[in-house]
Amino acid sequence: MISFSYAFKEIRRRKYRTAVNIAGVVIAISTLITLVMAARGWETCTTVPLNSIGTDIIYIYTAPVEPSNKGCYIVNHLFSYPFNQTLLTEIEQVSNVECAVPILMHRSRALVLTGIDPSETQTNAVLPDSVIEGRYLTPDDGYVALVDKEYAILNNLTLGSNVTYAADFEVIGIVDVSSTNIMKSHIYVNLPVVQEILPEKPIGLINIALVRTSSPNTVEQTAAELEEKWPDSSTLTGWDLAETSSGIIQMNEDTAWNISIALSVIAVLFILKSQLGNVAERTKEIGILKAIGWSNTNVVNQIVAESLLQGVIGGLVGCGVGYIFAMYVLSTIGGEIGGALNFVTVDPLLLSLGFAIAIVSGIIAGVFSSLRATRLSPVEAIRKI
Amino acid sequence: MSNSNIIEASNLTKTYRKGNVGEVKAVDDASLEVKEGEFLTIFGPSGSGKTTLLNLIGGLDKPTKGKVTLDGLELSKLNEAKLVKVRREKVGFVFQAFNLIPTFSALENVQVALAPTSMPKNEQLDRAVELLELVGLKQRINHLPAELSAGEQQRVAIARAFANKPKVLLLDEPTGNLDTKTGKEILKMCHKASKDQGQTVVAVTHAGYVKSYTNRLLFMRDGKLFSEMPKDEIQEEEY
Repeated sequence: MISFSYAFKEIRRRKYRTAVNIAGVVIAISTLITLVMAARGWETCTTVPLNSIGTDIIYIYTAPVEPSNKGCYIVNHLFSYPFNQTLLTEIEQVSNVECAVPILMHRSRALVLTGIDPSETQTNAVLPDSVIEGRYLTPDDGYVALVDKEYAILNNLTLGSNVTYAADFEVIGIVDVSSTNIMKSHIYVNLPVVQEILPEKPIGLINIALVRTSSPNTVEQTAAELEEKWPDSSTLTGWDLAETSSGIIQMNEDTAWNISIALSVIAVLFILKSQLGNVAERTKEIGILKAIGWSNTNVVNQIVAESLLQGVIGGLVGCGVGYIFAMYVLSTIGGEIGGALNFVTVDPLLLSLGFAIAIVSGIIAGVFSSLRATRLSPVEAIRKI
Repeated sequence: MSNSNIIEASNLTKTYRKGNVGEVKAVDDASLEVKEGEFLTIFGPSGSGKTTLLNLIGGLDKPTKGKVTLDGLELSKLNEAKLVKVRREKVGFVFQAFNLIPTFSALENVQVALAPTSMPKNEQLDRAVELLELVGLKQRINHLPAELSAGEQQRVAIARAFANKPKVLLLDEPTGNLDTKTGKEILKMCHKASKDQGQTVVAVTHAGYVKSYTNRLLFMRDGKLFSEMPKDEIQEEEY
């Protein structure tokens, strides 16, 4: 206990140097926490909107202007041209594409109607597990619809009620669709029925293909291939969606870790330099301690304890500051895909790791600087002015 | 005073390399014996090698040639760990410049000498308070060195030197930074404490008034230790 009792006193009395050392640790650790948590939030943002409907890529033909005042084909607030449903077969031939699912999404005034193929139960604009009341659609269904829970509440719709969008539909199911789902609509009906009732009669046409790839790692490559093969088409990936709806720097968790590790190394070097300065300043004091019977081990313990305490304080403050910054950064991610705060929780492991890095930084800096102290001869050290 | 020698130094030489000057012999073939309980004073002008000799005797420095035996232990044969133990348990140093730790209070400056020992914390505190009381600083224990006068700082240094009840007290110009009156008080204190506790004292100084407190005098010049000289042959004015 020789070390800690004096270490506490020393760091309290050497306020400026202590503050500088602690600030170095705080910057490194808070950056680590902020970057990693923000990167996780970012990655979540890029995956949640599409993963919730089981797709990786939204394939569309974007339209420059609203094509008709009677309504329009849309996706995620973008106007789009309808295209032939047979294209799906060709899309499925592209490498890494597992399946392509047809969607016809139409908006009239503020109401959105989506035509789906209910036989697709893994990738679709609305999935069977979204049904909270009633039942899901079947391929044989005619003029029946699923309605969104909020829309149903707002319009007093219950099972058996009628809802109108170019035709009347009986409500057979209420669905609870997350606001992060970009296919969220008010009414979901079988695709052939939608093609039949719209004024344009888009028989055999769709405006969206939901594309599922064989691996998340191939999404960007597959999207590029699709755009290359059909130059007029556009693809939207999770990355694109997050990019359009947030303001933070885009990076993945690996990049965040790499930056954080680099910062931690800088923090260690920073503390080390500061501690070496500390040892140099205290050369005479170390000489006195050795002259009155302190061993090299005692001196090392003392310096390491001081450095360790600074690491502990810096680590605690750094974790707190990092957490607050991360929450702030994540709160800026949002828009239509929903705030990333909804998906990112405090990771005790990350905080523990940040704290551990701070402690290890303190120990490393303490050990290296104290080695210099052990080489000091007491006589030479005492002579220093 | 016992008849047995607690310090035996034979043919001690300490050579330093000094830039353009080349080799400088700070201590040149010095030999001495100090009996247990003796108060020995070594006189000499500045730069005569007194401090180096004291550092060699106390195990703070290693001789280039010769050997030192302290309380039966030949210092040149001890490893660093054992030398630390000697400095901690057998020797108490008082330096001319006090050498207190500026950020520690008077009490902590004394406690710091006890810190590496196995003594329980509360006993260390009691011992430090007791020593500061002994040197008349009970009311000033929480003051930092900068808040103490030179005499008070040297008292703290003396209390620290006594902390581990060393067998040998080594005083390096203990009055060098003090006025005559305070210097005499400090010497009186060391003399009394060593007498009461049976400690051996080796003081190096160029202050003549030290002779009143000493049993034996030696003279040092240019690194050489001269034969014992009678007390009354030393002229205070000479130094």
